[in-house]
Amino acid sequence: MVKVGIPRALLYYRYHPMWQTFFTRLGAELVVSPPTTRATLLAGSARVVADTCLPVKVFLGHVIHLVNKCDFVFIPVLRSVRRRVYNCSKFLGLPDMTRAVIPECPPILEIEIDVNKGEDYLHQAIYELGRHFTPKKSLIKEAAQAAWEAHDDFRKVMHHAGVMLPEAMTGREGEIREASSNSSQAAIGLIGHPYLIHDEFINHRLIERLQATHSRVVTPEMVTPGELEVATARLGRDYWAYEEEVVGAGSYFLQGKVDGIIGIATFGCGPDSLMMDMVRREAARIKSVPFMSLTLEEHTADAGVLTRLEAFLDMIHRKKRKTLPCA
Amino acid sequence: MRVGIPHLGNLYIPLKTLFRRLNVDYVVPPLNSRRTLSLGAKYSPEGLCIPFKLTMGNLIEAAELGADTLLMPGGYGICRLGYYVRIQEQVLRDLGHPATIVELGVSERKFLGFLEMVKKLSNNAPWTKIFAAFRFGLAKLNAIDRVERAVQKVRAVERDKGTANRLYARSLDALDEADDYRTLKKVEADYLAQLDAVPRNGRQPLIVGITGEFYVLLEPFSNLDLESELGKLGVEVHRTTFISEWTKFSLFFGFLGKSKKERIHQAAMPYLKRDIGGDGWESIGEKVLYARERYDGIIHLAPFTCMPEIVAQNIMPATREEIPVLTLLCDEQMGKPGMLTRLEAFVDLLERRRQKRDNKNNSGQAQSK
Repeated sequence: MVKVGIPRALLYYRYHPMWQTFFTRLGAELVVSPPTTRATLLAGSARVVADTCLPVKVFLGHVIHLVNKCDFVFIPVLRSVRRRVYNCSKFLGLPDMTRAVIPECPPILEIEIDVNKGEDYLHQAIYELGRHFTPKKSLIKEAAQAAWEAHDDFRKVMHHAGVMLPEAMTGREGEIREASSNSSQAAIGLIGHPYLIHDEFINHRLIERLQATHSRVVTPEMVTPGELEVATARLGRDYWAYEEEVVGAGSYFLQGKVDGIIGIATFGCGPDSLMMDMVRREAARIKSVPFMSLTLEEHTADAGVLTRLEAFLDMIHRKKRKTLPCA
Repeated sequence: MRVGIPHLGNLYIPLKTLFRRLNVDYVVPPLNSRRTLSLGAKYSPEGLCIPFKLTMGNLIEAAELGADTLLMPGGYGICRLGYYVRIQEQVLRDLGHPATIVELGVSERKFLGFLEMVKKLSNNAPWTKIFAAFRFGLAKLNAIDRVERAVQKVRAVERDKGTANRLYARSLDALDEADDYRTLKKVEADYLAQLDAVPRNGRQPLIVGITGEFYVLLEPFSNLDLESELGKLGVEVHRTTFISEWTKFSLFFGFLGKSKKERIHQAAMPYLKRDIGGDGWESIGEKVLYARERYDGIIHLAPFTCMPEIVAQNIMPATREEIPVLTLLCDEQMGKPGMLTRLEAFVDLLERRRQKRDNKNNSGQAQSK
């Protein structure tokens, strides 16, 4: 059976159920690299110039892990998933950059998604990807449709049932803890890309730490696409792919939907340098919800993150006690 | 209405001409200075690149001089640049400047968008007048670039260092003042002749190609006047990106300068298959071409945290075409002594490499005799 390697990084967190369905339907076996560790990061960052951003270094570490463990590595290029809305350069150059810095990498399965080039181009790209596994067009079409449904279900489980991404991805949504919405419990909205929010190594187990303080964590995936779209439009036109994860979710949470917002970005991220600033400015202007921005990089230490988190939560709890009627 | 513009090298000179001819009320903010940079850095989000910070400084300084309509490039599908306007507008608003930014779509409407904007700014001047002004501005731009090209050559081999730069500064003033084609031609010819007559030191200069992100290539303030410094070290620089080229390319796209771009893209193809925004694709293509054309070395300029150039920088060492590359990252923390040390070391390396090659060629010839 053909083995397809999937690096557990970047777009994995958004599209894995879709990819999994597509490739297994076509008879391939998937090899997903294990969760990020320090070793993953060190392996990746040894190959590239220092200025490369943390998520890309982590991504390359995952690819290195897959060397000799699969026949292909799947690295899609998502140039544009909405008309006139483009992705960051690092996503566009990912397959070529991987080839350049990891010469021992297995052959790369590439697919370029660019909706500006029309539907035919998209279909053609999907057929070309599927042709590595089967010559039958009908089979590829079926697999693609099933993949799309799987993706749809995955998103719906998160924003309808409020399931967290890792549980939704592994199909463990049945066993989520009872959602007790206690009014004294602080709700914290996280904004940022899923590959930061859901990679425990990159964000220093932020979600776990928040939950340990009995805070309710809300991530951008838990907000419905409709609400996100309205919220994104409030702060301006679309420019970046996945702008709704930062600007949209930020603008939505700022309408008093949560008690505090934490923006997670990595140092040197081009799109976030602008998008986080949009949210920060808006937060400063309307002063509805406290906003903290965490910039992560290779040298961020646990203790630093923890101190800032504690101070932020203390402030939110004090504010909450003040607004609650005396018991 | 008073129009203000950000700086990009000498681009303000032809723009001034255009505005003057169309009776547009305009201000050119002071040339980039320490103040521009500190203003820009102070009011910009910290993670942004130096082109944002400097243009931000320019816009603030223009607004201080009473400009209420500021021109800024923007658009889709290019790097962060397309998003600049959204933040810059907010910064100006938060600072209390009542200015609006007119976004110049360099990626889609191109020439038409620019002309429509000029028409609006000039209070509906007749098209013939706009075209005439535009043509003259373009002629001026081309003249400036030809003088600059000559200066790049003379700087490397002049006997008394600094002569070419002095002539260059004077030529810019004269070209700025020229108000008809005849004067323009005369001024250009005059300065080209003067540059030609500058006494030479008789050395054979090293030839270095300069590539990278267009803003830091074209705005000498942002790269600490790299080209002059290289000239002092006896290096002749070649740069494919000139302001006239960039303007033509970003305004006309398909009509002019495309075949040249295509050649660069073709050269990059084996290593990077697609446009990644900004000038990353071009940087790799130019590296390949400079190496094939046997330049002595390449200096790759990029703003700190520039997304496309980081990709290019990572791919460059994997290209088969061998040539020494020095990447210099430009930001507000960059200091001249640090840059000079790196340049001197790089030039030393290139000189030794050339000597080695010459020796090899000589001994090769001796043996064949």
